[in-house]
Amino acid sequence: MKFSRRLFLEGVAALSIALAIPAIAQADDFKMGLLVPGSVSEEGWNRIGFNALKGVESQLGAKISYVELQQNPASFEKAFRDYASQGYKVILGHGFEFQDAALEVALDYPDTYFLISSSSIHEGNVIGLNTDTSQPFYLMGVIAAKMGKKAGLVGGMEIPPIQQAFAGFKNGAKSVNPDFPISEAYIGNFTDTTAAKEAALSMISQGADFVVPNASGATVGGYQAIAESGKDVRSFSIFSDFTPVAPNNILGLYVADYAQGVVEVVKSIKDGSPPTENVIFGLKDPKVMSFTFRDDGPVSVPAEIRAEVKAISDKIAAGEIKTGGE
Amino acid sequence: MDDMMFLTFLATLAGAAWRLATPLIFASIGEVFSERAGVLNIGLEGTMLVGAFCGFAAAFATGSVPLGLLAGIAGGMLFGLLFAFFTITIKADQIVVGAALNLLGMGLTAFLFRTYYVSTGKGIEIAQPVHIPFLSDIPFLGEAFFRQNLIVYSTVLVAILASLVLFRTSFGLTLRAVGEHPKAVDVAGRNVAAYRYGAVMVGTGLAGLGGAFLTLGHSNQFVEGITSGRGFIVLAVVVFARWSPIGAFFVSLLFGLFYALQLMLQAQASIIVPYQVLQALPYIMTIITLVVLRGKGAAPSKLGQPYEMR
Amino acid sequence: MAQVNQGVRETVYPQAAQTFYRTLSQIAISAVTPIAAVLVALAFGAALLWLNGFNGSDIVTVMIFGSFQDMRSVGEILLKATPLILIGAGLCVAFRCSIWNIGAEGQLYAGAIAATLVGTSFTGLSVWVHVPLVMLAGALAGAAWAGIAGYLKVRFQASEIVTTIMLNYIALILTSYLVTGPMRDASAAYPQSARLIREAWTPRIVSDMRLHIGILVAIVLAVALYIFLQRSSRGFALRVVGLNPHAARYAGMQVARNVMLAMCISGAMAGLAGAFEVAGVTHRLYQNISPGYGFEGIAVALLAGNNPLAAIVSGGLFATLRSGSEVLQITSQVPQVLVLVIQGIVILSVVAFAKLRDILRIVA
Repeated sequence: MKFSRRLFLEGVAALSIALAIPAIAQADDFKMGLLVPGSVSEEGWNRIGFNALKGVESQLGAKISYVELQQNPASFEKAFRDYASQGYKVILGHGFEFQDAALEVALDYPDTYFLISSSSIHEGNVIGLNTDTSQPFYLMGVIAAKMGKKAGLVGGMEIPPIQQAFAGFKNGAKSVNPDFPISEAYIGNFTDTTAAKEAALSMISQGADFVVPNASGATVGGYQAIAESGKDVRSFSIFSDFTPVAPNNILGLYVADYAQGVVEVVKSIKDGSPPTENVIFGLKDPKVMSFTFRDDGPVSVPAEIRAEVKAISDKIAAGEIKTGGE
Repeated sequence: MDDMMFLTFLATLAGAAWRLATPLIFASIGEVFSERAGVLNIGLEGTMLVGAFCGFAAAFATGSVPLGLLAGIAGGMLFGLLFAFFTITIKADQIVVGAALNLLGMGLTAFLFRTYYVSTGKGIEIAQPVHIPFLSDIPFLGEAFFRQNLIVYSTVLVAILASLVLFRTSFGLTLRAVGEHPKAVDVAGRNVAAYRYGAVMVGTGLAGLGGAFLTLGHSNQFVEGITSGRGFIVLAVVVFARWSPIGAFFVSLLFGLFYALQLMLQAQASIIVPYQVLQALPYIMTIITLVVLRGKGAAPSKLGQPYEMR
Repeated sequence: MAQVNQGVRETVYPQAAQTFYRTLSQIAISAVTPIAAVLVALAFGAALLWLNGFNGSDIVTVMIFGSFQDMRSVGEILLKATPLILIGAGLCVAFRCSIWNIGAEGQLYAGAIAATLVGTSFTGLSVWVHVPLVMLAGALAGAAWAGIAGYLKVRFQASEIVTTIMLNYIALILTSYLVTGPMRDASAAYPQSARLIREAWTPRIVSDMRLHIGILVAIVLAVALYIFLQRSSRGFALRVVGLNPHAARYAGMQVARNVMLAMCISGAMAGLAGAFEVAGVTHRLYQNISPGYGFEGIAVALLAGNNPLAAIVSGGLFATLRSGSEVLQITSQVPQVLVLVIQGIVILSVVAFAKLRDILRIVA
């Protein structure tokens, strides 16, 4: 009995050594990990984080890895520790909700950089990266108020990135017409494309002619509703290119190349000069945030509105217009 | 809100309710068959996901909606075969197997979708609305009821057909007897197990169709967990509907109505009730109904019990 | 050593030792089925990986052994096991009584809400008062939430399968309302409650690990439930009601009271699990506080053959699988949802092997 136990222990020891060897061999590699709060298979928020990771891999030659955590706060801290203890130099927590866990873990791993998406923190080696989505949504609000009669916003759950975007939209629309009607609905999850579609359809039936869905995986349902409602309903494509879904309705694209922003930040860390304060990407960073108009659609934004939007965009970039907040 | 606005609101509401009810109608009518034969399948969430995924994959490969629907039904039935084997042949507990199939359905569809379709991001052509001549031009009513796609229209047909089969054919009679007095059926020389297999096949085939509607008749993509709990709602619908196909049709509509109402009322800035109250309403109502329509009533007396053949 | 034992058996405590050995061999026999089931599921998982272009052997090298890198990862597994053991052991009692409580998820949320309410109020209490108070609140809320379904079953013959599922949704929606509305921490951007008062936090076992005393509570309670079911007359009554309610009624047992008891015990355990998630892990209430522990707990109970003692092992196993699937995704990019497939197959295999054993017994 004694013998077999020793054998077992030896076996376990041998196994753990075998498992540890590759880890040691790779210690020199520059490694980056990613934590996402959902599935990277969906067009939307999680895919953006994934693309950022891929960008760092292809442009900086880093070894990469990611883990999907299904918005379960209990598992965040463990995932950070797993990566940090395996010698990952940079770990991106893709979402504000990762901040508390990162702060906790960061104390034990001072040489690792913890980047947090949509956060404005800067505490030691925890650095917030915020894409200010309220800025492009502000521009969409301006366009909606100038070209439409009523706007509709379909959200997934009431969480900050979505609330922030919608606040920008409302502020933009109100800057043109303080009484511009805007309705807002949340489907309560990020998977029910059917609900997103019906929410958009019902808004359209109640007179909305400028509709923007923002519900991660379920977003596509919103664009389908827009596409089926004829070309009098306008929209903007957000995060990804949804023009194939609603070719007659989408006036332009807001695409965030968050990857480019993250690559810049990670490069600065790799080169030994990490950011000294929290990072905010906005319209001032055209490489990261592109806001473009379509010319190949049946309806396009008139030149004079484009000029106005350009002027507003410049002002936002210069910090002269505050887009977020109620 | 003036009268015209209100009528538009109602018309949109009714149309949306029917579409949101469609997957529930298919799956709940299917489950009525299954439960009438004494088989309680709580694995419908997984079954519907399999239907949604198979439908999407087939339509993605062939570009054909009808083939996609067939694949959805076939996928559901294949999954149902697994359920039937374990519950009828092996006589394992139906709840246990149903719970396992839910896990299996969620896991398999997500795993396969992620492995093969993640990077494509492409959708499929879905069934388009068919405007019924003349009727679709009736103000308000036309919009609500006569501008849907064929899958939505077919729910009426399925409900009527199911009701006829269940209550007017000898197959239906025997099937119901299997759920009430399986011993009598056995004595009369009919094969109880075969009828139960049949009932489960009908049930899971329709559940697969309900799932496939989500990807082929409404959204044009598969999303992990796209059923969003509909498979569980179906179980409530069946009880609420007192195990009747026509009842299942209307109770599903009621659930669809609440769901649509909830989405539409949120968009009305003047509503001050938290939208969560509206979201919870169908569930609370189901419980109240169970209390009001108390007692066993129409519940098949051998529901959930394996049958030991002599 | 065996010889020494034999001596003991023959001379000193013949009766006790024999019982001990019989129990031991019974445990060994009853352990065969779950072990075989897990092996089948892992083989299936490996085949699934291999068929889809991944490395099939990863499932053993990474998923099982990869989870045990150091003390910390073991601690994390036990942390995950805590709610699974609590819920699983509680459900064993309900299932033994043939009560199909599918609502552990909702009961967990009810417990989490109550624990948050108690944990964010009452400043100035000592740890010795506040920690048990939070646990008690969680357990009571869970029991009450389950009690609704129990009462509806007893009083109105409403199917607990349907009512518990409905109550799951209602609890989830209630939580969503509370953390975006009345209980929301106004200073935070993310919808979450205020942080629990430090005195209400479940104490950690080792200060630099997240593992808290909840795991010990879970194990103690699982053992207690086992003794309750096997040794007490009330536990016996519960099992009889589960096997044959009519016979139980003839024997003068109060079916309704036993149904309520089974429901409330399982609810209290799930509510306690919710309290530990809030007070021991996140320290705040969130909308998605449980990644489906309530549903996984059903599988834990089934794998344990509705034996609370075995639920400790099966809860640990499921926690290992879940942890391992995270490691597997990090190292090999295998979709984490694989764990659901494996869990599903585990249950089906348990069912199939149990049947096989019956057949073999009949043949023999």
